[in-house]
Amino acid sequence: MNMPRLALFLALTLALAACSDDKNNPNYGGMGQDGSALPNTGDQVGGSNSPDSGIPPTRPADGMNPDKADYTTLSNDTVYFDFDKATINGEERGKLVAVSEWFKANPGHALFLAGHADKRGTPEYNRALGERRADAVREYLVGLGISADVLYATSYGSDRPAIDGDTEEAYAKNRRVEIGVVIKQ
Amino acid sequence: MKFSSRTFRFVFTVCVLGSALLPLRAQVDVSAPGLPTVGVSLSGPLGGGATEIVSADLRRTGEIEPVGSSSGQYLATGVAGDSGITGQLVNKRNGQVLFNETFTAPGRKSAHQFSDAITKAVTGLPGFATSRIAFISKASGSKELYVADIDGFNVRQITHDNTISASPAFSHNGAKIAYSSYKSGYLDTYLIDVASGSRTRIAFFPGINSGPAFSPDDSTIALTLSKDGNPEIYTISTSGSIENRITRTRGGETSPSWSPTGDRLVYSSDDHGAPQLYISSSSGVTDMDQLYTGNSYCTKPDWSPDGKSIAFTARVSGQFEIGDFDLASREGHLVTTDGGEDPSWTRDSRHLVYSKNGRLYLLDTLTHKSLPIELSVSSCGEPAVSR
Repeated sequence: MNMPRLALFLALTLALAACSDDKNNPNYGGMGQDGSALPNTGDQVGGSNSPDSGIPPTRPADGMNPDKADYTTLSNDTVYFDFDKATINGEERGKLVAVSEWFKANPGHALFLAGHADKRGTPEYNRALGERRADAVREYLVGLGISADVLYATSYGSDRPAIDGDTEEAYAKNRRVEIGVVIKQ
Repeated sequence: MKFSSRTFRFVFTVCVLGSALLPLRAQVDVSAPGLPTVGVSLSGPLGGGATEIVSADLRRTGEIEPVGSSSGQYLATGVAGDSGITGQLVNKRNGQVLFNETFTAPGRKSAHQFSDAITKAVTGLPGFATSRIAFISKASGSKELYVADIDGFNVRQITHDNTISASPAFSHNGAKIAYSSYKSGYLDTYLIDVASGSRTRIAFFPGINSGPAFSPDDSTIALTLSKDGNPEIYTISTSGSIENRITRTRGGETSPSWSPTGDRLVYSSDDHGAPQLYISSSSGVTDMDQLYTGNSYCTKPDWSPDGKSIAFTARVSGQFEIGDFDLASREGHLVTTDGGEDPSWTRDSRHLVYSKNGRLYLLDTLTHKSLPIELSVSSCGEPAVSR
């Protein structure tokens, strides 16, 4: 296996591990699709034994405002998500392979990964959801061989929709991670 | 009151048995006979306005029926002027003077103080007429922090940052607001002194720093930090030093709210799929006690001041509604039928302020009646009531 393939393999393994199907968990707390009532397992879940799985985030050393990044160059590679999900769908992964190829061909840059949520749900939950989406993209790009030190995740929750409106189409376009390019300090 | 909660529990059980959690309808008319009646009559240069304010405040409690001065089981009289209100309350049955007091707060606030004193004397319950609401409004074009009296008056814009301000929370003594903002470009948490407007950035770890909540003694703040790689609940001092990590999961934890005794926190976690509510100790990572509310998607819990229940936002058939989880019976039920989110309890542990479609509402959780809070600004959300 050559190095890029190995990196891709690792990335996919990571991604699979990250989205290991919660429905297989006996303590699974239910789905959000239709809002139907849940089975009550009565068990306690989570707690002190769950590992940290994320990669600790960083901010640029100069504290640069993420708004100053260039979100145009890689705008075709904005990653879209399902409702209330932070796992990267199979059809979106090719965009991140393209991003990693662009990044390797254009040394001296860093990337902002700006996570967003659609307007449904409480704003505070959506801030964390946007953060988890940005974190997922960051981990995926790390798996493709980009250093975590030049990948800055941030979240705007539902406060900065790409499209205003209450349609499913608008919601789908707003559940996203945009990728912004900056010159590395 | 017992009658109504039993009625709702019955309806709730039927709904669960039918495997669909249907919205519930208020079935009890609380303005029915039985509430203590208070005649309100203030004289003096500002007497007319003060009489109106006090009558509206008393009616808002849901515990008292204000009536004309010639009737009522109690009589509230006094003199209202520029320097405040001197008022007294008499129990007309036995002629006893329950209090005779001067309230010197400026403007409408002295009338609200008189109202809360009447509520306390007549019902034994804390009134919330003097409470304020911190909230976010986009009226200026960007999301800024505002405060207003709970009756909608005295709207004041606190931030003018042209960025996104978010998730405010009042300290219990009412002097400070903790909130989050993208002022630095990143989602950091700030402490603001309400009177002076002076502001300190207290949490600015890499990742998000959001959703602050003051402990009952105002010495500690619980919030979400993602500095470990995903959003977790932490407690920090008011100067920003880490005190305790509360959660350790692969999911996201948000919106911590303290028990009134300060030993526990309720928050939402999506570690096991859609977000659910959990309670943990506030002193370190321990087991997470899940609250089975009957809803598959629950966020933004708020622990009631009396400690007995937890309000939350539930997703029901694609809509968002306010729910209330009773900790003694460990059962949840919905208290709105036509939408709502971000509930925040008032002092009496009976009313909730919440937002819906850019407006704020005051909900009586016993009658399920909601009234809009008329504000001079639009596009409002994320309300937090002072305690």
